[in-house]
Amino acid sequence: MLKVENLNVYYGVIQALKGISFYLNQGEVVALIGANGAGKSTTLKTISGIMRPREGSIAFNGEEITSKPAQDIVKLGIVHVPEGRRIFARMTVLENLYMGAFTINDKAQINQDIQEMFERFPRLAERKNQLGGTLSGGEQQMLTIARGLMSHPKLLLLDEPSMGLAPLLVDQIFEIIQTINEQGTSILLVEQNAQMALAVSNRAYVIETGTITIEGDGDDLLKNDSIVRAYLGA
Amino acid sequence: MKKANLVSGFRSGLVFGIVLVFLFLIGFLETGAGLLSKFFGDPVPTNTLPKLGYVILFLALMAIWSGSGSSKKINPDRFSELVLPVLVNGGVLGLMTALMALIFGNYVKAGVDVRNYLVAVSPASIKMLMLNLTEPVQAALALFALMTVATFLGALLHFVWNRHLSEKVKRTVSSKIESVGQSKMMSLTSHPAARYIALAGALALFFFLPRMWGSYWNYVLGTVGIYILLGIGLNLITGWTGQLVIGYVSFFGIGAYTFSLLTAPEPHAIMMNFWLALLIAVAVSALVGFLIGLPILNLRGDYLAIVTLGFAEIVRILLKSDLLTSFTGGPRGIRDIGGPTLFGADFSSDVNFIYLIFVMVILIAFVANRLQRSRTGRAWEAIREDQTVAKATGINTFSSKLLALTLSAAVAGLAGVLFASRNQFTGPEDHILLVSINVICLMIVGGVGNIPGIIIGALALKGLPELLREVSNFRMLTFGALLVMMMLIRPDGFLPARRPRMKRPMVEDPQEKAEEGA
Repeated sequence: MLKVENLNVYYGVIQALKGISFYLNQGEVVALIGANGAGKSTTLKTISGIMRPREGSIAFNGEEITSKPAQDIVKLGIVHVPEGRRIFARMTVLENLYMGAFTINDKAQINQDIQEMFERFPRLAERKNQLGGTLSGGEQQMLTIARGLMSHPKLLLLDEPSMGLAPLLVDQIFEIIQTINEQGTSILLVEQNAQMALAVSNRAYVIETGTITIEGDGDDLLKNDSIVRAYLGA
Repeated sequence: MKKANLVSGFRSGLVFGIVLVFLFLIGFLETGAGLLSKFFGDPVPTNTLPKLGYVILFLALMAIWSGSGSSKKINPDRFSELVLPVLVNGGVLGLMTALMALIFGNYVKAGVDVRNYLVAVSPASIKMLMLNLTEPVQAALALFALMTVATFLGALLHFVWNRHLSEKVKRTVSSKIESVGQSKMMSLTSHPAARYIALAGALALFFFLPRMWGSYWNYVLGTVGIYILLGIGLNLITGWTGQLVIGYVSFFGIGAYTFSLLTAPEPHAIMMNFWLALLIAVAVSALVGFLIGLPILNLRGDYLAIVTLGFAEIVRILLKSDLLTSFTGGPRGIRDIGGPTLFGADFSSDVNFIYLIFVMVILIAFVANRLQRSRTGRAWEAIREDQTVAKATGINTFSSKLLALTLSAAVAGLAGVLFASRNQFTGPEDHILLVSINVICLMIVGGVGNIPGIIIGALALKGLPELLREVSNFRMLTFGALLVMMMLIRPDGFLPARRPRMKRPMVEDPQEKAEEGA
C-alpha cells in the first residue's frame, strides 16, 4: 500500500534521513521506533508532504506522491496526526472535528462521522462545546486522533500518540489504535514507547540516526535482545 | 500589623506621587483641572487658570484613586487593618506633593523663572499648585493635609464599597453587563421583531445624524469609517489568518493613488467616472497584494511583516520622488480628485459622502462576516492556530493565505479610494507607516479578530483623539495612557473575539433540544 524507497531528507545541511526504505501492506500496523532525533517524525512529515525529500520516492497504492502538495496527499487518504497533541486550541472540540473533515463536502456524511467519533470517544462528546485548549492531555490526544479519522483515511500516520500521557491513558490510546486498525485503517505508528508499539504492530522498523537498522515482526523484535537493551531498559 | 501592607501602601503613595510630580512638570495639572471644570459645565476661558476648587478636586481625585488602590490591594477584613497602610500611602503622596510645592514656591519667592529650566512650569501653574497661597510652607502643609485626607477617604470609600455594596450591586450590574454583552443580548437580538426595530433605529440614526451634526463631525466620522474599513481588511489576514502585515498602508496608498490618477485633472487628466475608477483602484490594490504574497506566503514566520514593512516605505518614497513627479505628482500630491456620482448626479457633499462610507462599511463588514463563517474562514483560522496541522488536515495553506492577503489588500484599496475622494487631495504624507500602526493598534484595542471590536477600536483611536482636543498638547500622552490602561484592564481588547459558534450543532443532541424547549 505504501512504499518508501531510498528516502533522503535534509534540514538545511543536516541530513535527517539517510536512504530509508520500507513498505506497509493494506491493513497492517507498522511501527517505527527509535531514539530521539533518529528521524521517525521526519519520515512521517515527508510522507504527508509537509517536508520534501531531496532524494527517494514515496508511492501510495502504486501512485507516486513524492512531490504532491500536502492537501492532495490528504485527499488520497493519508492523514498525519502530528506529535505533541496539536489541536486547534481556540476552536471547540466540535469545530476541531469539523476541521478534520475539511476535504469532505458532504454535510450529512460529516455529521454521521462526528456522531461516530462521539460514540468511540465518549469523553469528547461530553466536552464537544469546550475549547480544545482546555481539554486534558489525554482528551487532546483523543481529539487529534478523532480529527485525523474524520477524513476517512486509508492510512493513518500516528506520531507519538502516547507522548506525555499517564500509563492508564497510554493503554487506552493503544486500544483505540487497535480498534481503528481492526476497522480497516492501516496505521504507520511512530513511538518511543517501544514495548507498547511492538505489542500492537504487525511489523516494525528500528531507526537509528537516519537509517533503518533492524526490521521484523513485532513479536520477534520484542524478543530481540538488542532492542530490549536499547529501548526497553531491561 | 503586616509589614507587607505597609509596603504596598508606601508603594502606592510613591507611584502616585511620582505620577503627580510628572503631571505637574509637564503642565498637566492645569489641563486636568480645566477638564474637570468643563465637565461640571464651567469651561475655562483661554489664558486663565481653572478655579481653585477644580484644582483641589483634581488633586483629591488622584489621592482617592491611590487610596482605593491600596485598599483594593490589601483587601482587609476590618477597616482597622487598613488605617496604617493608608496613612503611609497618603503621607508619602502628601509629602511628595508638599515638597514639590515647597521647592517651586521658594523659587518663585526668590524670583527665579523656573521656565528657563522646565518649560511647562509657569509661575501661574506654581501658584495653582500652591492652592493660591503665598507662603510655600503654608501651601505645603495644606497640600499634605489634602492628600492624606483624600487618600484616606479613597480607601474608606473602596472599603465600604467592597464590603457592603459591591456584592449586591456587582451581582446585578455586572451580571447585567456580562449578559448584555453575551447571552441576553443574543437572545434579545435573536428575537426577530427586536432585531428589525433595532435595525430600523440604527438606519434612521445613520440617515438623520449626518444631516444634523455638521460637517466637522461628518469629517471625523468619515475618518472613523475609513479606519473601520482598514481594520476589517487587515483583520482578514492578521486577525483571522494570523499573518502579521505591518505595511498595510501600502495597499491603502496604492488604492488612493490609482483612483486619484484616474480621476484628477492633473497630472494625467483622465477624469474617469468615479465608480469605474473605484473598481480599477480596488483591483490594482488586490493585484499588488497578490503579487507580494506570491513569493512570500510559502514561507512561515515574520517574512510577510518585514516585506510589507519595506514595501510600504518603498511606495511612499516612490510617490514622493522627483523622478516620478510627472507621473504621480511628487511631494505636492494630487489635487481635485473626483467625487462620487450617482446616476450622473454629483454625490460628493459631506453628508452624501458619509452615507457612502456607511454603506461601504456595512457591505464590507457583511462580506467579512460571511467569509468568517465559511469554509475559507475556518481554513484561515486553522492556519492561525497551527499551520502544520492545518496542512495535515488538507488545507492548502498557501492559497488560503494568498486569498486572505489579496482580499485584505482590496479592502485597503477601497478605503484608500474613499479617503482620497473625500479629501479631494492625496499626497505621500497621507500614506506614512503611522497609518498601518494605527490600524494594528485599533485592531488590538478593539479586540483582534472581532468586527464589532474593530468598530469600537476605530472609534476609540480615530474618534477619541478628536474628543481629546480639549487636552490639546497632551493629546498623545492621554491617548497613550488610555491605551496602556486599556491593555491592563482588557488585555484581549475591548471586545475580545468570540468565535461564531455553530448555531445549530452539527449533531442533534436530545439533551440540548430539551433545554431549548424548556
